[in-house]
Amino acid sequence: MMSEFYRDPKIFVIVVLLILALAAPLFLPDAFVFLIGLTYLFIILAISWDVIVGYTGQVNLGHTVFVGIGAYTTALLQVPSRFEGTFLNALAGIPQPPVFISILLGGIVAAFVGFVIGVITLRLKGYYFALVTAVLPLVFIQFLYVWSDIFGGEEGFSVGLERALAPDSTGKYYIAFGLMVISIITLYFILRSSIGYKFRAVRDDEILAESVGIDIVKYKVLSFVISSFFAGLAGAAFVHYRITVGPSLFDIPLMLLIILAAVIGGLGTLYGPILGGFIIYLMKNWWLKSISGISAILPINDEVILYTILIIVAILAPHGIWSYIRLGVNKISGKAVR
Amino acid sequence: MIEIVLRILIYGAVLSGIWALTASGFSLIFGIARILNFAHGTFFVLSAYLSILLIKNLGFNIFISYAVSVILVGLVGVVIYKIMMAPIREHEVMVIIVTLAFALLVGEVLLLIFGEHGISVPSFARGFVEIAGVPITWKRISVFIAAIVVIILLEYFINRTRTGKMISAASQNLEAAMIVGMDVERLFVITMFISAALAAFGGLLYAQVFAASPIFAFKSLIFAFAIVILGGLGSVRGSIIASFIVGYILTITINTLGARWGEFMVLVTIIGILIVRPTGLFGVEE
Repeated sequence: MMSEFYRDPKIFVIVVLLILALAAPLFLPDAFVFLIGLTYLFIILAISWDVIVGYTGQVNLGHTVFVGIGAYTTALLQVPSRFEGTFLNALAGIPQPPVFISILLGGIVAAFVGFVIGVITLRLKGYYFALVTAVLPLVFIQFLYVWSDIFGGEEGFSVGLERALAPDSTGKYYIAFGLMVISIITLYFILRSSIGYKFRAVRDDEILAESVGIDIVKYKVLSFVISSFFAGLAGAAFVHYRITVGPSLFDIPLMLLIILAAVIGGLGTLYGPILGGFIIYLMKNWWLKSISGISAILPINDEVILYTILIIVAILAPHGIWSYIRLGVNKISGKAVR
Repeated sequence: MIEIVLRILIYGAVLSGIWALTASGFSLIFGIARILNFAHGTFFVLSAYLSILLIKNLGFNIFISYAVSVILVGLVGVVIYKIMMAPIREHEVMVIIVTLAFALLVGEVLLLIFGEHGISVPSFARGFVEIAGVPITWKRISVFIAAIVVIILLEYFINRTRTGKMISAASQNLEAAMIVGMDVERLFVITMFISAALAAFGGLLYAQVFAASPIFAFKSLIFAFAIVILGGLGSVRGSIIASFIVGYILTITINTLGARWGEFMVLVTIIGILIVRPTGLFGVEE
């Protein structure tokens, strides 16, 4: 047992990272603990996007909509009084479920919407799916503005301090970490199972996959439903982490951040987007804020820099940094490159 | 009542003509190179900003500045194609991601330089004419005429000229086009230039009647999507016909329900078409 522990660098790295992550709140200042917790939830978004795009090859540009659906589902379940006086007045009296049930429901509703959209668009060539999912965010945000009595419009609304994931940052941090670990493990096993191999078969060659008897539409839709479920789950968790819900959380910049994280890490690698998500989210919210002084002189802000990085990485290193890391590790440990 | 119907008819025609240019450009480059260019809407707004710069800062005549900005945007399209699309064309996922990132990059830079308020460009003509009691500005009429002229030129180019025929042949079967010795790469570059220039001209026409803003790049792209899906991906004639359908749906929606329902109606239209007739009006089964 012990000898195997030393021999496999992967297990060693995972154990070290686990210890670091669990000990982090003990020595980091509160604001960082809060930010890193948010980063864990963001990582769920990056890996769930990777399931449909990286593993199944279908470009989903509306991932943030499912994040938003999860978020507003849990927020409205917790604050049903928002329905009062609207055409959905009947919903105002529904009892509030416990926070964790409500987060789970956020994921389920997002998965259901993903199922409906997937059934319509994934029968067709991938282009249609990309086009339709690209339209979704605009329509979703429009809905939030049109029924601002319910959704709170641009401002959003608060779900109340008492419905936070935990009373303090450290508690929230551990819950977000737990959610991320559960999501990673679940997706790891799904992607290592025969389902995951079918996703990859569909991505690599649809015609070949179909000819060996894989129902390609079924697996594309399944992949999209799984991806949407985790997006909704993370979106709902965001609400109870930040106590507020609003459209600014789920707009196009977030979509680009997810894409950036997954592309930089490496599409279809699972570990890549975890690493990419960690780097990108911290970078965006931490040191890129400090460069905003430049925009007084040049038309450059943090988003311009992120978009530029994305373009350069996508052209020069379309397989992401994870493939380089794996190459390096394999070289050191002497294994053949897969 | 007649007044409203007439207004919808005329305003719808103007809007449809503009969308026909934009969407057929989008359709052209998809048809030949299978590139879904998410930066197409960027070309649409970029020309308006360029021509404003040329007129205000360099004192160009408006017609010259329009011609120069259409050509410049066409060249930008070619450069973007060479740098960002050609090296990764086989990787469809990456083409979408890179063009989307480029569109957002330009949008953000325009936002930082010009601010979020929309800009309008000077129009070809002034004054108005009364048609059955409804005042219609010459601005709208001239925009409509310009759009129709360009559409006819485009149809002529594709169906009558040698290069145009080569483009439509390569769109139908790329491998066969290569086998008979066509320089496909050259055709891609020409098509990219025309595609970007069409979007640029559409944007200039749009900014005469309405206003172009950085955010509108993405919205114009979405209207172009709806049109090409309805017309059939890759069919230029389908795009032109579909743009009149979508243009009227939009105009009726905006005049009856309000502008904020525009995108929603577009999505409903797209979903409806995909359920009933997934290949669009003129698309080919792939």
